[in-house]
Amino acid sequence: MKSKKLSELIINTFKKNGFVLSEPDVLLDSEYIIQRSGENFRRSMLTFENENGKIMCLRPDLTVASCIKFIEKKSKSKIYYSGQAYRRTNNKSSDLINDQLGIEILGSKNQTQDDYKVIKTILDSAKRIKSKNIQIKVGDINLFKCLINSLDMPERWKLRLVRHFWRPKYFEELLKRLEKNSDIDAVTFDTDKKRFNEMKKMEQDKLIAGRSISEILKRFDKKIKDPRSFNEGKYIVKIIRSFLKINCKLSKLDEKLLEFVKKNNLKKNIFSKLNSIENLKKLKQEANFITNFGRDIEYYTGIVFEIFSGKNKVASGGRYDDLLKSLGAKKNIPAVGAAINLNNI
Amino acid sequence: MKSIITIGLPSKGRLKDRAIAFFNDRGLRILNSDKERNYFAVIENKSNIKIIYLHAKEIIQRLGDGTLDIGISGLDLLKESEKNLQDRINIKKKLDFGDANLVVAVPDDWIDVQTIADLEEVSFDIRSKLSTRLRVATKYPNLTNNFLISKGVTQYKLVSSLGATETYPFIGSSEVITDITSTGKTLEDNNLRVLKDGLILKSTACLFISKKRIGKLKSLLNSLKLI
Repeated sequence: MKSKKLSELIINTFKKNGFVLSEPDVLLDSEYIIQRSGENFRRSMLTFENENGKIMCLRPDLTVASCIKFIEKKSKSKIYYSGQAYRRTNNKSSDLINDQLGIEILGSKNQTQDDYKVIKTILDSAKRIKSKNIQIKVGDINLFKCLINSLDMPERWKLRLVRHFWRPKYFEELLKRLEKNSDIDAVTFDTDKKRFNEMKKMEQDKLIAGRSISEILKRFDKKIKDPRSFNEGKYIVKIIRSFLKINCKLSKLDEKLLEFVKKNNLKKNIFSKLNSIENLKKLKQEANFITNFGRDIEYYTGIVFEIFSGKNKVASGGRYDDLLKSLGAKKNIPAVGAAINLNNI
Repeated sequence: MKSIITIGLPSKGRLKDRAIAFFNDRGLRILNSDKERNYFAVIENKSNIKIIYLHAKEIIQRLGDGTLDIGISGLDLLKESEKNLQDRINIKKKLDFGDANLVVAVPDDWIDVQTIADLEEVSFDIRSKLSTRLRVATKYPNLTNNFLISKGVTQYKLVSSLGATETYPFIGSSEVITDITSTGKTLEDNNLRVLKDGLILKSTACLFISKKRIGKLKSLLNSLKLI
């Protein structure tokens, strides 16, 4: 009963800030989720086969379920939800059923303003139920992208590092590989070069296992021209590691970034679009900025944050500009959202 | 009265012949039934040992549920099986036959794809161009999943196959495959090529025992010179 009262308090704060209720479906087509989240996610889902032979799952996450609802044009853009999400984990102590209470702005038109709105609303809700020792941690996935794009290294390495940023363990393996300059791509192309010339004479539209000959040849050509090995690996990894150590008060962020850029002889203007982060100073709430942060969820693309009460994480969220498109939306639909963790209150 | 020991051996082909030879070579002569298609056999002068011929996959299952005490089957089949099954089975000895590799193979003409890192890049190309995932056909979903994820490939979807997996990329059922190969000939003849770092598992025939029964198997394992 206590938790019911708490959720009412929170929901009232959501409503007051202009968020309207969305009730996403409990059952989702699991192929849809796999298509987006990848095969590895299958083991986290609770699934069954329906009478038509379709594999259905209980919604593993309310953000994803809300996005699906929005794409089906069945919800408003500024929504809140309150319900259960169902997910299996390897961790025996964590629950199968999670109560989630959150807000989303789907189709966010003003990034700075909407990021602020979401964080402010969640912070106010958290404060209404837990006022002691409230702390915020923030990060920005986009800053890492800015850094990588400013460094001088082969394009495919840039893509790799950005793609795998959200998987810290594999990311570390990549850094080690980069450090040793042992890009496993470095192989000889002599025999394939012969086949390359043969294939050039073939019909270029012909498909081989779903890929056209022209597409294969184009990528082959690009690979040969891309630098095979480079000596800067160690230096670049050093820069990345030192970037990931940045952890400071939000008020000191400009200073810290400038110091970092100077120390590593990088251009001053590599970190663009800091507005959203800078704007958080208006919260008048002590916040820590951490670069090595928000790296456990694949879909975050911009600002990420967590709210703590003492040691308990009571809320978390972030910006996810690519998720809706990857779930089947026809165009890019930027979005930002956050959820309260009722179990920790 | 001595308790009965049940041994499962592969019911077909070279694996069957080599498994029988393994026992014969160690002085435990296997006597088959007069009826050609009978699935049971015994060992000469060992009334407490029963031999059953089974499908290699079945041998792993029956070791797991305690029907079999000892079995000869492939390491690949054990490693692919569910974890709770694997927990109940011991690999007593790797045998010198049944060698085969589980590998990732791509169409030969994908000349730009030599390594798993290439495959990862192509999977992103496919995702952004067609908004579908790279499809990987396999009879080994668990091993394939673990391998690909550990190598940083995430943008794929498994297609389960029961046989002739080598045809899948050319009939539109998948783009790449993983399959078990001993000489590589079937892959080669079907215009497929193993990736340079595409070895998922080096498999071989093994003698497995059910963990629960280790105690009662001592004297038999002794005579097989396995202790």
